[in-house]
Amino acid sequence: MIDVKNLDKHFGDNYVLKGINEHIEKGEKVVIVGPSGSGKSTFLRCLNLLETPTGGEIWFEGEEITDPKCDIDKLRQKMGMVFQHFNLFPHLTILENITLAPVKLKLMTKEQADENAMRLLTRIGLADKADTYPSMISGGQKQRIAIVRALAMNPDVMLFDEPTSALDPEMVGEVLALMKELADDGMTMVVVTHEMGFAREVATRCLFMDEGRIMEQAPPDEFFTSPKNPRLQDFLSKVL
Amino acid sequence: MEFFQNILNYFQTGFHDTFIAQSRYMLFIRGLGNTILIAIFATLIGVVLGILVAIVRVYSGQTGKLKWLDRICALYLTIIRGTPTLVQLLIAYFMVFAWIDNVILVCTIAFGINSGAYVAEIVRGGILSVDKGQTEAGRSLGLSASTTMRSIVLPQAFKSCLPSLGNEFITILKETSIAGYIGAMDLTKAADLVRSRTYDPFFSLITIALIYLVIVIGMNAAFKALERRLAKSDRR
Repeated sequence: MIDVKNLDKHFGDNYVLKGINEHIEKGEKVVIVGPSGSGKSTFLRCLNLLETPTGGEIWFEGEEITDPKCDIDKLRQKMGMVFQHFNLFPHLTILENITLAPVKLKLMTKEQADENAMRLLTRIGLADKADTYPSMISGGQKQRIAIVRALAMNPDVMLFDEPTSALDPEMVGEVLALMKELADDGMTMVVVTHEMGFAREVATRCLFMDEGRIMEQAPPDEFFTSPKNPRLQDFLSKVL
Repeated sequence: MEFFQNILNYFQTGFHDTFIAQSRYMLFIRGLGNTILIAIFATLIGVVLGILVAIVRVYSGQTGKLKWLDRICALYLTIIRGTPTLVQLLIAYFMVFAWIDNVILVCTIAFGINSGAYVAEIVRGGILSVDKGQTEAGRSLGLSASTTMRSIVLPQAFKSCLPSLGNEFITILKETSIAGYIGAMDLTKAADLVRSRTYDPFFSLITIALIYLVIVIGMNAAFKALERRLAKSDRR
């Protein structure tokens, strides 16, 4: 589904990604961990071109998205993204946050989008918040709304950029639970996170990134119990 | 007693001479009409021009594209903000738009171009005050750069620059009072004309001062109301 070939990214003299090769299959749940500054968020943001790679190729569903001729807006509709700081639209109600993109892109009529949004909101138990504004709800609720907003586009893959890092500890659980539910429904997911418990439980594959490279990857059992790379051993000994 | 009688007489004749004689109130009404006409359309020109210039500048600053257009915009801002409005008005009337007969139209265009420069800087500040994550969220949903700008960034930018924008609109209204310099019959010019006929500055000048004041107070109230309405999404 996603193919990354020799991906390079540098900001001036700062080389953040150094020749990444990666293949993500439909239905996989890939969790990326690593120390801060290792390039994991940049890698994730390159996958939907929020960061423009300085070298290499990225293919998504058979199309090269790094090709300048590629219609990236079209492909982004199929790649949902969830941000650390939620990035809900503060001037719109919760319902409008969810329906904005499907309606503007003429994928649904206003009525269809409203209905779809209400169905999603009901599923996460926030239907009563439909007409309130983002400033009136908690961080955990915001992040779940942000996930639903991305889901409203019926994406083929969901990218999560440290979705729980900006949350108060007591709100982390509800967001992870929703993500786990998504995973159980078979969504393809790429998740950058520091939640090792989530990685162990939900991931089909864990990647360890350091200094702009993928240093090790393995299924979670092997990844956490018998890490081979000394950097990963060191990292895990600090976070577990 | 005689003292009060004199004052009453003065007010009566003054009022009569200033407003009633030769239907001079018509001059004030015509002047007010022109002032409002110039102010409204200059504001419209200023807003459209200002938003366009602001978008070009922000877009160019963020992507490095449209460099030459950005330079033209920067030059426009420098010239307009670096020279007196009255000088710009004279240049517009005697040089740039000398081929336009309608002096009200020339005033409107000149004030519009002038205001555009100030609106541009206000709007640019507003756009830059919107968190970058908003654009990223919009784009990540598949919205185009222009839809993201229109539906997500500009509404928020507008809200944050509304107080400065209101101030600018009030400034435009008051600045139109120099339109008389090129012979446009605005409110100030009308009052000055009456003053020169009656040899009594009091009634004509105080009258228009009050008219400007009332309009400005009204505009202020309208903007405050709009701010309150837009602030409803901030309530916790």
